[in-house]
Amino acid sequence: MIKNVLIVDDDQEMLVALQNGFQKYEDTFSVITAENGEEAVEKLKKSTISLIVTDLKMPRMDGFSLLQHVMENFPDIPVIVITGYSTPEMERMAREGGAVSYIAKPFMLDSLARKIMGTLRKESEGGTLHSVSSGIFLQLMEMEQKTCTIRLEDKSSGKKGVLFFSDGELLDARVNDLQGKSAAYEIFSWDKVTISIQNVCPPIANRVNSDLQPLILEASRLKDEADMNEESRKSERDEAEKPARPAASQKTKPVRDPIRRIRTVIDEQVGQRSGLVDVYRDKSWDGNVRQWSKVGSIFATGELQLCYVDRGEATDYIVLPGSDTIVLSVNPKCPRDKIMKVLHKL
Amino acid sequence: MKELFADILNMQGIKGVVLLSVKGDIVYQQSLVDGVPDLAKVEWENILSTLDGTRETDLAFDRGRVYIRKTDLGYLLIPMSLQASVAMLRLNCDILLPSLKPAKGTRGLKRLFKK
Repeated sequence: MIKNVLIVDDDQEMLVALQNGFQKYEDTFSVITAENGEEAVEKLKKSTISLIVTDLKMPRMDGFSLLQHVMENFPDIPVIVITGYSTPEMERMAREGGAVSYIAKPFMLDSLARKIMGTLRKESEGGTLHSVSSGIFLQLMEMEQKTCTIRLEDKSSGKKGVLFFSDGELLDARVNDLQGKSAAYEIFSWDKVTISIQNVCPPIANRVNSDLQPLILEASRLKDEADMNEESRKSERDEAEKPARPAASQKTKPVRDPIRRIRTVIDEQVGQRSGLVDVYRDKSWDGNVRQWSKVGSIFATGELQLCYVDRGEATDYIVLPGSDTIVLSVNPKCPRDKIMKVLHKL
Repeated sequence: MKELFADILNMQGIKGVVLLSVKGDIVYQQSLVDGVPDLAKVEWENILSTLDGTRETDLAFDRGRVYIRKTDLGYLLIPMSLQASVAMLRLNCDILLPSLKPAKGTRGLKRLFKK
């Protein structure tokens, strides 16, 4: 399988230089370009991308925002960050954000190519199979309780998709901008596929919540219907999609204790790498909260929802004002923006 | 002076920049939105006393955020929309911070900034 590498940089000369320079690697990967994060997000919807190389400083949507989008929506796609403004702190932030590699400009084209190919090799570390029946192979994955990421290419249409297995359970699927059951149905309708296996599964939510057998049967039924009537196929997929959406939240029972609720939400939405050390009630922050609330009045930004405090110590703090002030102590290397986003929605 | 903060001020969602001395005097102010009150009349001292020892503070409100960064001169306050990229802002502050050091032997505002 020739893999697609998406290169994102607002410097057009850099894009052209990389595109031309990487032509000699065209039997391994092909280059797709985007001039900013927004354009990259659109390209991610339309193409199956195996790796992203992105600059940080870009107009419209910068590299950090793109990195965050990729980690939330395409956690299996590795991201290499390139930047002309390299500092240790920036490298730390990029790696915390999920970047697998970090390269300061200027760099040698061949060294970037080596990094790209080394990262791409991990995609198929578990082996590659050609012209196999997807249904039989995937049931084998379930039986053997495999934890892996499987990338498939349909021999007839050339479409590409990804399946995520954890201990034999299908957690999620993706074909372009389709995810969950809809994507699984699409993939299971492919007769002959080329498969590459990566022996890891990124930490993702279970969007499928179903055994493989009923999924494969449903995919087969949908395919039969599609052969008879293109229109009815579309409406059936929409129906099939409906129960998949709330699946992740169905598992969550309402939790009344705010501390337990915070822990649950962070566990579910940020995962094991949240860096959360402790959650506790602490009124000693109330004086600070009163002063910080004034900042909101000064700049007309409304009511204070939460505060992140970095004292350059071994622990950072997130303070949630309220009748009972709640404090989260976190590792400074925690995915801070993600935690803030999750808590802001509470 | 505006050039010094250009990278920050040009970011999407940034509403302005305020640089305060440790005592709360306004060293520099640039607002990109209307309706900001006279910041010189604000009693910053009490607010800044809560920031003692902090490297950075990120205050999230229901209609926006205010990012506060300690500098060698005092504190940099950056109000922004909820959609602004805080990671990018932190990066721009990292780049800017070495320029915000008191320079020796000159007078006026020039003594406060390196080129």
